[in-house]
Amino acid sequence: MVAALDRKLLRNLWHMRGQVLAIALVLAAAAATFVLSTGVHSSLTATRAAYYDRNGFADVFAGMTRAPRSVVARVAAIPGAQRAQGSIIQYATLDMPGRKDPVRALLNSIREDGRDSINRVTLREGRLPEEGKPGEVIVDEAFASANDMALGDRVEALIYGVQQELTVVGIGLAPNYIYALAPGELIPDNRRFGVFWMGQKALEAATDRTDAINTLSVVLQRGASEPDVIRQIDTILAPYGGTGAYGRKDHLSHAFLDNELMQLEAMTKVIPPVFLLVAVFLVYIVLGRMIRIERTQIGLLKAFGYSDVAVGWHYLKFALVVAAIGCLLGLAAGVWMGRAMTGLYAEYYRFPFLAYRISSEAFLGAVALSLGTAALGAIGGMYRAVRLNPAVAMAPPPPPIYRAGFVSKIGHAGGFSAVGNMIVRHIARWPGRSALTVLGVALSAGLLFSTMQFMDSSRTMIDSFFLRGQAQDLTVTFVEPRNEDVIYALRQIPGVQRVEPTRGLAVRLVNGVRSKRTAVESTMAGSQLVSHIDASGKKLELPPGGLMLSRQLADELDLKAGDVVRVELLGGRQTRTGLRVASIVDEFIGSRAYANERTLELLARDASPVGSALLKVDPADRQAIIARLKDMPLLLGISERDASVRLFESMIEDNLFTMLFFYITFASVIAVGVVYNSARILFAERAHELATLRVLGYYHSEVAIVLAGELALLIVAAILPGCLIGYSLAQLMTEMFSSDLFRLPFAPSRASYGWSIVIVLAAAIGTVLLVVRRVTRLDMVAVLKARD
Amino acid sequence: MPIDGGIAFRCAGLRKTYRSGETEVHALRSVDLSVRQGESLVLLGPSGSGKSTMLNIIGGLDRPTEGTLHYQDIELTGLSDHDLTRFRRRHIGFIFQFYNLIPSLTAEENVNLVTDIAEAPMPAIEALDLVGLADRRHHYPAQLSGGEQQRVAVARAIAKQPAVLLCDEPTGALDSATGVRVLQTLDRANRELGTTLLIITHNAGIAAMADRVLHFLDGQISQEVVNQTRIRPDELTW
Repeated sequence: MVAALDRKLLRNLWHMRGQVLAIALVLAAAAATFVLSTGVHSSLTATRAAYYDRNGFADVFAGMTRAPRSVVARVAAIPGAQRAQGSIIQYATLDMPGRKDPVRALLNSIREDGRDSINRVTLREGRLPEEGKPGEVIVDEAFASANDMALGDRVEALIYGVQQELTVVGIGLAPNYIYALAPGELIPDNRRFGVFWMGQKALEAATDRTDAINTLSVVLQRGASEPDVIRQIDTILAPYGGTGAYGRKDHLSHAFLDNELMQLEAMTKVIPPVFLLVAVFLVYIVLGRMIRIERTQIGLLKAFGYSDVAVGWHYLKFALVVAAIGCLLGLAAGVWMGRAMTGLYAEYYRFPFLAYRISSEAFLGAVALSLGTAALGAIGGMYRAVRLNPAVAMAPPPPPIYRAGFVSKIGHAGGFSAVGNMIVRHIARWPGRSALTVLGVALSAGLLFSTMQFMDSSRTMIDSFFLRGQAQDLTVTFVEPRNEDVIYALRQIPGVQRVEPTRGLAVRLVNGVRSKRTAVESTMAGSQLVSHIDASGKKLELPPGGLMLSRQLADELDLKAGDVVRVELLGGRQTRTGLRVASIVDEFIGSRAYANERTLELLARDASPVGSALLKVDPADRQAIIARLKDMPLLLGISERDASVRLFESMIEDNLFTMLFFYITFASVIAVGVVYNSARILFAERAHELATLRVLGYYHSEVAIVLAGELALLIVAAILPGCLIGYSLAQLMTEMFSSDLFRLPFAPSRASYGWSIVIVLAAAIGTVLLVVRRVTRLDMVAVLKARD
Repeated sequence: MPIDGGIAFRCAGLRKTYRSGETEVHALRSVDLSVRQGESLVLLGPSGSGKSTMLNIIGGLDRPTEGTLHYQDIELTGLSDHDLTRFRRRHIGFIFQFYNLIPSLTAEENVNLVTDIAEAPMPAIEALDLVGLADRRHHYPAQLSGGEQQRVAVARAIAKQPAVLLCDEPTGALDSATGVRVLQTLDRANRELGTTLLIITHNAGIAAMADRVLHFLDGQISQEVVNQTRIRPDELTW
């Protein structure tokens, strides 16, 4: 048996279904984004943790030129180290049948007996390489599927200057290559770069490292001090050309995933609150209006003996039911979007399993947020309902009182028509509600703008990093630093127009307690292929002495131009030098340091060997040049700038377009929700006046202007605050989304402002038209019979 | 008597049936009526007798279920919604029991609502002067008494110099002295401007100011009385 008051509640909900749905959709958007981001976050975190645990992902990593395998036992014996594993990693160039583009593999050694305890490979298919069968390899799953490789396939590889045939015996993946990048790249290119695992003995033989290793991984004991262990590893590895041990936070794959998790967390903090704020406003104005209309009924209920609490609870329940509807819709949409987004992640991050799962915290959080928001919005209305004196309530409410004021003076001065005056005075009579409408539409435009700004941001990044910063067509990296001869050799290849050497040194930069592992890179003086572009678009020259730091790195180390930073060379002579920070460049990608060739020579205390070379080539000879390069011994890899740009652009399209689609929908939901509710309330309040105008002989279109005019003014008034909110929100979001790896430029384009305004206006105007159509259905007789 | 003899309204077999839930309400059952131009009529009758429905149909606010209605030579029953609006705009002035003023507009601006769209209106201030409210033209409805508000409504109705004034209980919410003032204004419009005047009232005392009195009962005209002499509103008693 449903109580009479509950039956009234159900009828109210049904009667106001349009408004109820509009609020529920805004709440749904909040719940959806919350569930989406927290769900994807927890799915990724849980999956990563399980994967790391199951496959023994290391805590500390170290590289060296070459060390005897016996060093592993010494490292394992360091207090705090639980176990250590030494292996060989080696880049190889692959000659894929029918392919002209450069394809690279990173060969990792794996124990043939399967007794690796760290960074273990999960086999999807096949088996481990067998001892005594040198060409057998396991290929990583993403590379295999991108290149249609199957068990038994063979591929020619140039390893350490020697051509060798490899046979695929297994397909698998490992936790240290969740995000697998070729050197110098930012986005995984599964077609052109793959991780391979080769039997330990076979790789030792292929790289002339019998019983030797060039990389080390360590799992720490619980509670061990990572910096202490790193310090001791560095000491042990110093004689072997150790390039400095580092923890997970500097591990590329781990750091990229961390970056992604951080962005998801930022999204949770910024986006749902915008929706929740709008939902509070909507509940507040809709319930406020409902209580004004039901004034007499409230009086009657109280006169019949319903308590204040019962009446208050009745209206709170209305808000809670709306919240429950919104929450359910939001949960469903959030799970659906979460699945789509997880699918996208699976394309870039290689997990053995990755399923979107909504945690109970995310679920309960969404429910609590929706209900809490609705309750917050309902407080004002409830308070009024509770406070209403039954005797006063049963008398009709006093009509709205208008008095001559500022707005009417404007109307006189502007020569407004009577209808024009009706519009502006109504806005001024309900300033709070008008302001909430403006704010709601502005938030919608702002949210959309802040999302669209990401497109601009990414384009600026591509433009600055690839198009303006790099003029080379190809980058050639060598297995080991070479002397100048290699530059001359490259220049001799027909079609090569320009060759510039570059060099990088692995260093640790230290400023007080802050330190950062990075590379100091140098290009030749007067380089025509590399430019350092400032945030303002200005080209910066390398300083004559000292370092140029990227803004990211300078901020991380708390350095400014003129400060001195300690530079510890990792590997080589392991020098420690103080260098002045000569300038800071506002770059967007990576924490990087630059110096001229002379400064690098001083640091390394050697003449300037070449680590890689940048090539500008004649497009007509491009393929022939790549073919020649692939045959050069001791070549680590060739990367093509255009391919990197394409990859970057396709990632932006994949991710941002999906995101944009969601956010255009969300922003429209806010605009529609706010405008629809305002319009319905306005219509209800002015029905009497509109009917009067119809009686006086005003046509439908003329009457509609009263309604549409007020809403149009409010919507137009929202454009400027919308841009301001968007500007601040976008700035906040680029700030929050920036990490060690990327710093998103804040570079909004006029088109983004334009599009966000156009989309929000379209949603708002569509909604206004929907409500204004009701004017044609106004029953003049019925309205005029009732006294307001 | 300023009746020029032409026919303003002519209706035949007018019926209006409302559906209220599962029951049918016969608001009008076959009404035949002619109203001459410049004539003044009072419609009397108990609640639900059909007089308001009759007035609404004549004024183009509602449509009959059956029958024909002509205004001069225009057949109103066949007009579209848009044309009915134009008809009201050109020819009809309405006055209601509850004034129906726009609270956000001053007295003068409420009159402007009509003068803005009428073809040959008198100036708003002149209309307000006719009802004795010229000095209160900048006041908002909330700053006016009930009687003053109704006089603004009258000024609004007569400002466009309509051919027809339709008044539904114009004095229903007023005390007798104020009511008389309003009726005087209506009477003046009828006598001096030749406006056809139809007044609905519960108050039989008002009937004496009209040329003709129609008694409504159960959706029909039960009785029609022609007054041989019209009494001025200030001589009315109720």
